[in-house]
Amino acid sequence: MIAAARRDLEEILGSGAVLSDPLALRLYGRDASMLEGSCELVAIPSNREQVVACVRIARRRGLAVVPRGAGTGLAGGSTPLPGSLVIVTTRLQRILEIRPEDRLAWVEPGVLNLDLKRRLAPLGLTFAPDPASEASSTIGGNVATNAGGPHCLAYGVTANHIFAVELVLADGTVQSFGGEGPEAGGYDLRGVIIGSEGTVGVITAVCVRLTALPEAVQVLMLGFATVDDAAGVVSEVIAAGLTPAAIELMDRAIVRVVEDFAHAGYPVDAEAVVLIELDGLQGGVDRQRQAVEQIARSHGATVIQAASDPAHRARLWKGRKSAHGAITRIAPDFLQYDVVVPRTRLVEALAAVRVVARDEGLIIAHIVHAGDGNLHPLIMYDRRSPGALEHVLAAGERIVRACLEMGGSISGEHGIGLEKRDFMPLMFSAADLDLNDDVRAAFDPVRTMNPGKILSDVGRSHGPAAGHAAGAAPDEAGSWRR
Amino acid sequence: MSSKLPAGVRFLGAEPGAVAGWLTHDAPTDRDIASCVGCGLCLPHCPTYRLTGDETASPRGRIAAMRAVSEGRAAVDATFSRYMDLCLGCRACEDACPSLVPYGRLLDGAKAEVMAVRARRARLVRVLGLDILLDHKWAITALSAYLPFVRPFLPPRLRRLVPRVSLRELARPIPAVTLPKGHARGTVAVLTGCIQDSWFRPINRATVRVLARNGWKVVVPPQTCCGALTAHYGSLGAARRMAAKNAAAFALADADWIVVNSAGCSAQMKEYGELIDRPDVASRVRDLLEFLDEQGFEQPAGSPVARVALHDPCHLLHAQRIFAAPRSVLGQVPGLEVVEIADGDRCCGSAGLYNLFEPAGADRLMRQKAANVAATGCHVVLAGNPGCAVQITAGLAELGVDVEVLHPAELLDRAYRRSARG
Repeated sequence: MIAAARRDLEEILGSGAVLSDPLALRLYGRDASMLEGSCELVAIPSNREQVVACVRIARRRGLAVVPRGAGTGLAGGSTPLPGSLVIVTTRLQRILEIRPEDRLAWVEPGVLNLDLKRRLAPLGLTFAPDPASEASSTIGGNVATNAGGPHCLAYGVTANHIFAVELVLADGTVQSFGGEGPEAGGYDLRGVIIGSEGTVGVITAVCVRLTALPEAVQVLMLGFATVDDAAGVVSEVIAAGLTPAAIELMDRAIVRVVEDFAHAGYPVDAEAVVLIELDGLQGGVDRQRQAVEQIARSHGATVIQAASDPAHRARLWKGRKSAHGAITRIAPDFLQYDVVVPRTRLVEALAAVRVVARDEGLIIAHIVHAGDGNLHPLIMYDRRSPGALEHVLAAGERIVRACLEMGGSISGEHGIGLEKRDFMPLMFSAADLDLNDDVRAAFDPVRTMNPGKILSDVGRSHGPAAGHAAGAAPDEAGSWRR
Repeated sequence: MSSKLPAGVRFLGAEPGAVAGWLTHDAPTDRDIASCVGCGLCLPHCPTYRLTGDETASPRGRIAAMRAVSEGRAAVDATFSRYMDLCLGCRACEDACPSLVPYGRLLDGAKAEVMAVRARRARLVRVLGLDILLDHKWAITALSAYLPFVRPFLPPRLRRLVPRVSLRELARPIPAVTLPKGHARGTVAVLTGCIQDSWFRPINRATVRVLARNGWKVVVPPQTCCGALTAHYGSLGAARRMAAKNAAAFALADADWIVVNSAGCSAQMKEYGELIDRPDVASRVRDLLEFLDEQGFEQPAGSPVARVALHDPCHLLHAQRIFAAPRSVLGQVPGLEVVEIADGDRCCGSAGLYNLFEPAGADRLMRQKAANVAATGCHVVLAGNPGCAVQITAGLAELGVDVEVLHPAELLDRAYRRSARG
């Protein structure tokens, strides 16, 4: 079966674009998460027609399809399970058209986020989503995970910047969803596709919304003697009605390692550093800056410093965006969580994490999209010591449960993938999960596309396999969330 | 995250009792391998990943392959060798790595492993060429003397990579001692290089003149190849022997500084501390423009050209993290505008012997680089590394544009001579 699939693929793609060597398969067995899976074959198509052929061959030969961009996902969304064909979209890397007057661009999924931004900058435009991996992650991957990033505080997540998505469905048909504008008729199925993590199809083109670059940008760096002071400032900035573009918090452990790499001038003695970016018209930026500085002073900020020039600003962001990659300089292994709490309860959430760290005797470092209440607690460990992993997993679950009790969520921006799949029942009822599964089945009734991700494949918990989901109904607040 | 994972999925890490599949003592260390978290921030900086979009041709993928061997899940075999051989060794990934992974060291270790499994003939070619020939400068000179006669008969691919060597130059070695102009500021010892000394001796002469002009007594101790190519192609033992010879020779020369005009060689000599525990030598090594920038230099009266495109050799920009110094020095030459080359941080494809062993990838990178150089509209491009110079010359020739490739020392030398003529 696999040999036959390989022959079929090689006939279409040529032998250089089909990988079957055990070592190659191993390298595609993981993304940027802490999990390693395995696959049977890897295909690297160069255009939509080849993607269609790959999907058809997988279906004919009984292989599941795992779409993959640059493999920078943190939740195991493109970690393959046995019996799958990995379809890599990195060679679909053309920017098809840029229409500044319509504020839109059509791109292929393998275009790197930052490459697109670089092309747009001379036009005074940008593609707003800025995940920390923006230098290496693909637009297709951003769409598939509904990626966030520091600036989603003001600009929203990827879903707010996508007009249309072209998808190869499990049966090999090509469908476009959405149109060249925010309003397309009928159900807004874009919302299903964006963040679907490869479970409904392979993305082959994306129409993105372009945003004008702001007239003025200012980054303030604030240092604090305690993490709580820092979190308090964040809550007050939000409460005061100020509208920063981004508010990021890092604790001392993180600041120290990123400073070694980025040389941004972070205060390495502060217990917490907050970056606040203000943008808009110059006058507004100046007024907001004064207001933020006043709040910071009243909370005992030990450092209040504005980026001196665009290069300094870039270094400050470079430090923040490299934080995840720099962790091995603290501990050999770590697990990173992606929990969310209502942003007014940030201080409480940080305290809850502190309790877990103390009880379990673990080192937990913090990178926080503070403005969104999105925490990334990083639990350090050394996998060579027996039982360490289980210990960390138990501690992580305690953190997740604590955040859910505050009215939060299991994932802010990394997606569910494989890593957080088993937390889904903590947030959703059986009926909710079945309804999700039904939506997915409407796109892919035979479960070819990235099975086992987001939702477990092991038996539906409730109701029939397709059609209506008995008992599923929104609660009084109109939310599907429990 | 749950500890109940689906079948076929596991958390990263070695199983208890795993036995590494390494074959030599020079293998990559577990500690270096573990410093990579796999975040992927290196990917867009890797020229081979950019060309292929393939994880197996990326720094993260190569480190994952090393990890697989160290965890006993893969062997040092033909596939492993292929992945390592496809790496340029440009180290652009190191600049982008927040974990500061020592990729160059990992790759040298992996190449040593690959050497152990190479076919006998391939190994013989490398040992003869890199371990033995490069270590005997007289032999390189002797062979180079035949080049003018052999060159026309070389296959076109090779011919364009071999410069025209003048027999008159070959007959006149660089003097062992050159006295400074004016009062002496100190003594510098110069590495003349292996291939550089035979094929690009005018560059060495220009280097000596520029240094002497700036008040340095220049000595050329008897020396051997720096060992860079030998180390990067899997013979760390031979590279250590060469390094030890040079360290002894340069220590004996008792110079204040060791100045090197080829980026690949200065990068290697700066590694002598780690490679053979000679930090006393390594700490005195400076690349030429880095040296002039640190010590200051006499401004020429004017420039022989109005605009130059500046090429950053990977082993200057990435391996030594030197970006500002060349710009600072050239910026002080009156009437000279330094023009940046688009995608200037991307390798030209020369990469040691990559353009011999991996012609397909090397040619694609060469064409990109040549096109970007041509797009600057400059008539001169500066390249402070002989491999880059050869590669860019070949690329420009193929493109059919008339751009002269000079070493920065040659430009400064011309500027001084021009001012001397007044």
